[in-house]
Amino acid sequence: MTAQDKATPGNLIFDYDQANTGHVHTDEDGIKDQFPERDCLPLPNVSEMQVIRHYTELSRKNYGIDTGIYPLGSCTMKYNPRVNEDMARLPGFAGMHPHAPPSHAQGALEVMWELQEALKEITGMDAFSLQPAAGSQGELLGVMIAKRYFADMGERRTRIIIPDSAHGTNPATAATCRFQTVTVRSDERGNMDLDGFRQAIGDDVAVVMITNPNTLGFYEEHLQEITDLSRKHGTLLYCDGANMNAMLGISKPAEQGFDMMHLNLHKTFSTPHGGGGPGGGALGVRSFLEEYLPVPRVVRNDSGHTFDLDYNHEKSVGRVHSFYGNFGIMLRALAYIKSWGSDIVNVSETALLNANYLLGLIRGSFDVPYDRRCAHEFVVSTRRFGEKSALNIAKRMIDYGLHPPTVYFPLIVKEALMIEPTETESKETLDRLAGALAYIANEMNQNPDILDGAPHTTAIGRLDEVMAARRLDLRWRPPKG
Amino acid sequence: MNYIPHTREHVSEMLTAIGCRTVDELVPGQVPRAARLDLGDPMSEMEVVSYIESLAAKNAQTKCFAGGGSYDHYIPSAIGHIVLRGEFLTAYTPYQAEASQGVLQALYEYQSYICLLTGMDVSNASLYDGASALAEAVLLAHSYTKRRSVFVDGGLNPAYLQVLRTYCEGADIFISDAINDDVACVIQQTPAFDGSIKDPTHMAEKAHRNGSLFISCISDPTSLAIMRPPGEAGADIVTGEGQSFGIPKSFGGPCLGFMAVRSALTKKLPGRIVGATQDGSGRRGFVLTLQAREQFIRRERATSNITTNQTLLALSATIYLALLGRTGLRSVAHTSYRRAHRLQQMLHTRGFRTITPGPFYNEFLVETPRPAADILERLQRCGILGGIAVDDRRLLICCTEKNTIPDMETYAREASMQ
Repeated sequence: MTAQDKATPGNLIFDYDQANTGHVHTDEDGIKDQFPERDCLPLPNVSEMQVIRHYTELSRKNYGIDTGIYPLGSCTMKYNPRVNEDMARLPGFAGMHPHAPPSHAQGALEVMWELQEALKEITGMDAFSLQPAAGSQGELLGVMIAKRYFADMGERRTRIIIPDSAHGTNPATAATCRFQTVTVRSDERGNMDLDGFRQAIGDDVAVVMITNPNTLGFYEEHLQEITDLSRKHGTLLYCDGANMNAMLGISKPAEQGFDMMHLNLHKTFSTPHGGGGPGGGALGVRSFLEEYLPVPRVVRNDSGHTFDLDYNHEKSVGRVHSFYGNFGIMLRALAYIKSWGSDIVNVSETALLNANYLLGLIRGSFDVPYDRRCAHEFVVSTRRFGEKSALNIAKRMIDYGLHPPTVYFPLIVKEALMIEPTETESKETLDRLAGALAYIANEMNQNPDILDGAPHTTAIGRLDEVMAARRLDLRWRPPKG
Repeated sequence: MNYIPHTREHVSEMLTAIGCRTVDELVPGQVPRAARLDLGDPMSEMEVVSYIESLAAKNAQTKCFAGGGSYDHYIPSAIGHIVLRGEFLTAYTPYQAEASQGVLQALYEYQSYICLLTGMDVSNASLYDGASALAEAVLLAHSYTKRRSVFVDGGLNPAYLQVLRTYCEGADIFISDAINDDVACVIQQTPAFDGSIKDPTHMAEKAHRNGSLFISCISDPTSLAIMRPPGEAGADIVTGEGQSFGIPKSFGGPCLGFMAVRSALTKKLPGRIVGATQDGSGRRGFVLTLQAREQFIRRERATSNITTNQTLLALSATIYLALLGRTGLRSVAHTSYRRAHRLQQMLHTRGFRTITPGPFYNEFLVETPRPAADILERLQRCGILGGIAVDDRRLLICCTEKNTIPDMETYAREASMQ
């Protein structure tokens, strides 16, 4: 049953007419005949308590990091500190209108400026834009900047190189900006294949997009050669920063040779994922690309104490957000970075430790396609259990109160489980997760039927996705009559 | 603060299990190592609170008469209590439906509300914000019609136009100054940036006669409580900004982009879509559906590159609409309308000529008798954000149900003082 189904008259929560100026009626106000009015507003009227009960009930059917380990690979589901929620809800920030004059928004502008400075220090990039609302929009902005940059240079470049282990957003972004995608396969160690890269690179390649560490959970070992070759051809090097949780204080993407990168503030800097957003997709660039960043840009005045919005950049690609980006997310990320300070290197070191420890615990239960030490995440294959085994194992994990990892990604590993434990999980939790996976692997051998129908303990069983796509039911409709 | 649970003993046990002496050994030699980051000393929770509160104190808290895409509607208390529940707050995209029925059902309800309000057939599960939602709609229209330009009717929020230009440059789409046979879609914002309410019927017919799609862009969707839904006036796509529905202004983000289409365009929609289905025992449940449109399956042939959207804000909007209901939302719209017209009359008698043509909703543009900046400065000293200075002598003013009559009287008095 949805809230709409519960529609009953009466019990109204809000009636501003009565509360404020109840004596004035619509007709007397002259709204009628002023513009085409709607004759029916089919929304339910329910009481506040009904609403609270309904959504409390729904929340109990949902699993979050607060419920237990949530090891989705490449999603960095770490603990979300609660104090940051309080900070984002301070009236002095939550109540700020984006058109408040900069002189009256100094605190908000300082938050943005401070965050930009911290991200520059962490990544080695020279300038940041905080406008992108999520990683994929950061990528899009990066590719738009590359397109404009080459247009300014009078060069027509048509291709973007992307390894076959990349997130789907990379090729989708390239296509949105009308570039042709060239896929380079991975080598036997899980790196981008150097021979393949040599064949693909050329003077018509605008950008090489690399996720580092890549989605197999490995630091790219040939970055130096890739950088050298890219420079030779004038190609820009883009870092998809989805896996930055493996590099805080360990290595700076700019020093690895990247010209641009986006960060996912909701991954690396612990802002809550919200069931699928909001996120934050800050884009960092080296100085030669800075003038292309979107406007307005947050700047510090010469005095060093006041901040302003600067709209005056002739070469800027324009704008990608209605205002300045997901400010509330920036605020949480800044609070998180400040809480760690220079010790933030502990985050990545522990993420590496946890991932390698967990990999050691479960490598006996599954196949490990690339036998290397991993960074902050790793990929195993369940192919020894046959087709659909990764799906079945994932669903069975729900029965044991665990959120499944990312499944069937990266595409180059058959029956893939992509596991990212993050630094905030304890040794006990990792031991328990490994124990459950070993138990399920054993079930797979002894009693595979039980996995076919999993999960068995949830309020609802395995849902028919094929039926969902064939017989589309995408909304509630009011009953006729 | 330290959010890592390990004891020193745990760390050494884990290192031993891995076969390393230090964590450093886990990083391959090829990775160039960074010098120690210069990010200051770690702060305790108490220090973080004190630091962030000191920044908040540098912002002026004012009574808000500004709109322009961000609206100061009242936010019911119950919303915050629900969206802070960890099961919603700390989940991610519901890839595993059986462990995510709560957020999936809430998004199904959200899609239903958006359809009911706009009069459209199908809604997606949210986009970033109003401006990029409009840009995504243009990409959709281009992909559907295979035409390469777009016509924008006057009255579009200038920031939205700027975002549209940026996306169009990336996608090789042109902004046309006439409705010609290469126009994929015609865009009209209502209420327009100057607040005026336009009847979209005429523009929709013009677009359709030309074989173009008609996109209706909604700035403050509380207006939909009293306006004829764009779906009934011939819109093919409705996009907009949902921040009005229970989402704090928060210096412009996060906000909530929405998009709804008529059913023929369903498979061209960008972003997540939730659908109802059944489990093996015939029980009703919800899943992400039509995923073959999306980047993680379709890669370079996806309808959009969007991945993470604004789910928690879509949840806020859903709870807002459930709490207010039919009567509450109409009340918000009527009161906002009435307050804006009352203030407009007060200002009119004091020499502020209204420039917004025809009927308006809760925003109006005035010509100021003195420089707009001076007026805003004076109001600011009285704790009032008086609107948006569109240029030297024009001010865009907005009212919601939160603006009281005494505050409006103060506004009118102070604004007209020399």
